[in-house]
Amino acid sequence: MIFNRTPFDVIVCGAGHAGVEACLAASRTGASTLLLTGNIDTIAQMSCNPAIGGQAKGQIVREIDALGGEMAINTDVTGIQFRLLNESKGPAVQSPRAQCDKKAYQFRLKHTLELQPNLQVFQATVTGLIFKAGKVVGCQTNLDIDFLGQTVVITTGTFLRGLMHVGQNKNEGGRLGDFSAKTLSGSLLEAGIELQRLKTGTPPRILGRSINFTDLQEQKGDPEPTLFAFHDTRGPEELFHVERTGERRIGWKPGSEQVSCWMTYTTPESERIVRENLHRSAMYSGEISGVGPRYCPSIEDKFVRFADKPRHLLYLEPEGRNTNEYYINGLSTSLPFDVQLDLVHSIPGLEKAILLRPAYAVEYDFAPPTQMFPSLESRKVENLFLAGQINGTSGYEEAAAQGLVAGVNAARKTRGENPMIIRRHEAYIGVLIDDLVTKGTTEPYRMFTSRAEHRLLFNHGSAEIRLFQHGKDCNLLSINRLNKIEAKIKAVHHWQNTLENTKAHGVTWADTVRRSSSSPDLPAEFLAQPKEVREETLYRVRYRGYLEREQRQIEKLKSVENIRIPDSIDYAKIPGLRRESALKLHQHRPLNLGQAGRISGVNPVDISILMVLIAAGKDPKF
Amino acid sequence: MSFPSDTIAALATPVGTSAIAVVRASGPQVAALVTGIFGETPLPRAASRADYKDVRGLLVDDVLFTFFAGPNSFTGEDTVEISCHGNPFIAQKILEDLFARGCRPAEAGEFSKRAFLNGRMDLSQAEAVMDLIHAHSERALTAANQQLRGALGRQMDALISQLINILARIEAYIDFPEEDLPAEDRVSVLRELERLKTDTGRLLATSHYGTMLRDGIKTVILGEPNAGKSSLLNRLVGRDRALVSAEPGTTRDYLEERILVGPHALRLIDTAGLNSSPSALEKHGIDKTIEQAAEADLFLWVIDATHPLPSLPSSVAARLSSANTIAVFNKIDLPTAHPDSAPRNFPAVKISALTGVGFDSFHVEIARLADSFQAECGDELIAINSRHAYALERANQCLDSAVEKLDADIATELVASDLRGTLDAFGQISGRIDHEKVLDQLFASFCIGK
Ligand SMILES: Nc1nc2c(ncn2[C@@H]2O[C@H](COP(=O)(O)OP(=O)(O)O)[C@@H](O)[C@H]2O)c(=O)[nH]1
Ligand SMILES: [Mg+2]
Repeated sequence: MIFNRTPFDVIVCGAGHAGVEACLAASRTGASTLLLTGNIDTIAQMSCNPAIGGQAKGQIVREIDALGGEMAINTDVTGIQFRLLNESKGPAVQSPRAQCDKKAYQFRLKHTLELQPNLQVFQATVTGLIFKAGKVVGCQTNLDIDFLGQTVVITTGTFLRGLMHVGQNKNEGGRLGDFSAKTLSGSLLEAGIELQRLKTGTPPRILGRSINFTDLQEQKGDPEPTLFAFHDTRGPEELFHVERTGERRIGWKPGSEQVSCWMTYTTPESERIVRENLHRSAMYSGEISGVGPRYCPSIEDKFVRFADKPRHLLYLEPEGRNTNEYYINGLSTSLPFDVQLDLVHSIPGLEKAILLRPAYAVEYDFAPPTQMFPSLESRKVENLFLAGQINGTSGYEEAAAQGLVAGVNAARKTRGENPMIIRRHEAYIGVLIDDLVTKGTTEPYRMFTSRAEHRLLFNHGSAEIRLFQHGKDCNLLSINRLNKIEAKIKAVHHWQNTLENTKAHGVTWADTVRRSSSSPDLPAEFLAQPKEVREETLYRVRYRGYLEREQRQIEKLKSVENIRIPDSIDYAKIPGLRRESALKLHQHRPLNLGQAGRISGVNPVDISILMVLIAAGKDPKF
Repeated sequence: MSFPSDTIAALATPVGTSAIAVVRASGPQVAALVTGIFGETPLPRAASRADYKDVRGLLVDDVLFTFFAGPNSFTGEDTVEISCHGNPFIAQKILEDLFARGCRPAEAGEFSKRAFLNGRMDLSQAEAVMDLIHAHSERALTAANQQLRGALGRQMDALISQLINILARIEAYIDFPEEDLPAEDRVSVLRELERLKTDTGRLLATSHYGTMLRDGIKTVILGEPNAGKSSLLNRLVGRDRALVSAEPGTTRDYLEERILVGPHALRLIDTAGLNSSPSALEKHGIDKTIEQAAEADLFLWVIDATHPLPSLPSSVAARLSSANTIAVFNKIDLPTAHPDSAPRNFPAVKISALTGVGFDSFHVEIARLADSFQAECGDELIAINSRHAYALERANQCLDSAVEKLDADIATELVASDLRGTLDAFGQISGRIDHEKVLDQLFASFCIGK
């Protein structure tokens, strides 16, 4: 049967971290939105470790908040441990990180979706897409109910032909306990979308009461938690803006009653166990064909590739306040269950550990992301958007960021508005999407600060300022919040100028700031400013030289970034363009000259030639 | 469409073929450059004669320059054309000086491209411009590839892998603070950076061609004691620079002076005489002479025409050839001079350092040899080389700044930002280096992964 005669504006398939942000962004910007999920009880599940943030990812979460997303606030009110990483380094590379109560995190998000106007949530597994004249117009489900939508956002994570391995044991599914979306892959292939395989893995989970903590090193949260959401620009009604309905929500005062993580190490015995059983590991016995992430190697990989390292650090992370389950961070493996047991028991503190779930590796389909526009719309199928792990990324934060962008853009598409494109120099989200659509990826893509050429500009505290214009242009924030952000921006500019131009004892305040490593005595009026204003001002003043250098480079790049390449261009017929470059350009079909220049194999001369061609305004088909 | 705002410079004439070389610069900085170099406010379209002095105030050449105010110029921007002697070394020095003053080397066909983008060429010429860019780049590419296949390529590969190693070590601690990495070791990073700096500096300096450009052609005056070497130097320099003495062995160390012979810059080096039976003290001077001779480009072998023909130490003699040596028969003013005594393998001149007789043809002979050096360097190579120098210079600046920060214990993400600058600069010689390489190195050398 057909569920709806009037199509939804946006249908989101999959309720992971990408799907949740996608459907919230779409519905909050006014689009009638449907979220389809195979299991309503696993909305926003943390399939891997129960933590949000960390290097570069922490900045991404703040950027998501700056764009009206939910991840930051949800982390703040369900977080059980908060730490600011890299405190010894400069503000640009400091990142907030939090352990979350896994269930609370999910419940709060589920509740948020339920209360969201314009959004309908329905439990059904999407089995295929419905196409009409090269466009997607809806989806089919396992219940034989079809749903019609003007746009469809696919956020199915690792579920596309997901295959889980525990040693030689194989199970179909994208996550332990959930099923695999098999036929959807076929639907994408049918539409001409190429698919490839990737793999990732997770470690075993154990029971807390079976851990002997006596000799383990404790890792406490920061006494002063660094939160993800910009609480300074939110009114109370914004903080819990869904509570306006008067319903009680799960969650607690951010940073209250933090819990600890624990550190332990593998032993020589662990190494012996792994080595003796390598042939039984799914990855080493050739069972798995997908490419795994280099930054998240299995314990097999660690022992084999870094044989000279005597031991490997493991973190025991609690999964929540109301559960005794612990996550062994660092011990992901595809060894068979009996070996996993021995392995876990060879670790100090875990001698008597009781396993709740085995570790497993999962293989899944992804759609190489160079097949998308920077709006995250497919180049092959109009009105089809893809976000999250299906695009080859890894991480909740990377997924959520894409979900948000895809949701906003799907909604905008239905209204005939230009997509929101975040540029590389504006935010990690911009780097993420540009890397994906321009270069693609061969391993699960994770963000690192070093991927951003302008990372000095990406201090987490400036996310709201950096993305203000997008938030405003795309109606992602309330008027109230926009006003507050604008006031913050003005205050920062004002104080930057004041500190640069006011002298005390013959030196400007700014020079004093730059010369002293500690915080110098500054005017009382400045010190009375909100923390956010003070910190951003001091960052800009202290690092002015470097930040200005970045700005100059950005200005230079913009000249090519703003030159659009006409769709109709035929690279093979451009005089002077080298064959190799023409081929690369033809494969990637960049949208502007900046993107073209980032394709490997395309050099500045090719860009020069294209620039002349485009300026000539001739029919580029020649 | 917005346009590039930087000022570019390049040779506008083919190298080495004509008596005059033209260096062209275009961009918003040009008017200020002209004022800075020539000390006069430029008058549009009027050729002026002036001394070109480099940033350090040293005379490079006397030149003719013409300023064209945008938009009435070839490129549509402010442009200056500087005509100097057709000697590539001079043109090259001017180019390097323009780079030092903030210009950057023009890309292949960039003047034409700007002309087109600024509406100085009509649409029908677009294809021609593209072909031009293509042709320029193909030529440059061929020359560059030739060099990169050789020693330069190997040296660049070594520098780049050193740098990537260092960057990976720095980035590991920025991006993976939670990992169980060995303690961050700024001292050894600093040591490696210093090494990279030295190696980069060496590449910049040992580039034979580059050295000739920067310092002039290294010209060693050698001969027996009392042959008149110091007198010769004084005469060439035009003032009494070296101590002249009837007592043999006066010049024990060596002495250096820069001169222009026609368009050529020479780095003249006066040496201690090569005595067949030296005293202990003389021995030291002679060793120095042999050392200098080992790296010389040009030899002026001074022979006292009143004496029988001397012989040279074999280590020195082995370096001399008809392509790099002038036999200078000195003291022909003396009645006992008999300069025609023996045939030589070298071009010879007869002079008197005392009276100045014979110096005109001596100058001609020097210029002839110096010209032949440049012929070896070929046509496009010049442009390639100035790019190398520019890129390496920039790489070095970034390295300096990185070292300074590490020394001062300043946050490593700022050090990393400088090192990225270095990586980009190296990339201008070897081709763009993807930052992914740093990650590759990082994951290969550190066990990352919780
Ligand atoms: N008559 C004459 N004497 C010269 C000439 N060149 C050098 N002398 C003399 O030869 C002596 C040695 O000259 P000097 O330049 O010190 O020789 P060096 O030892 O080769 O550097 C001095 O007394 C000079 O005046 C020349 O061309 N004619
Ligand atoms: Mg002497």
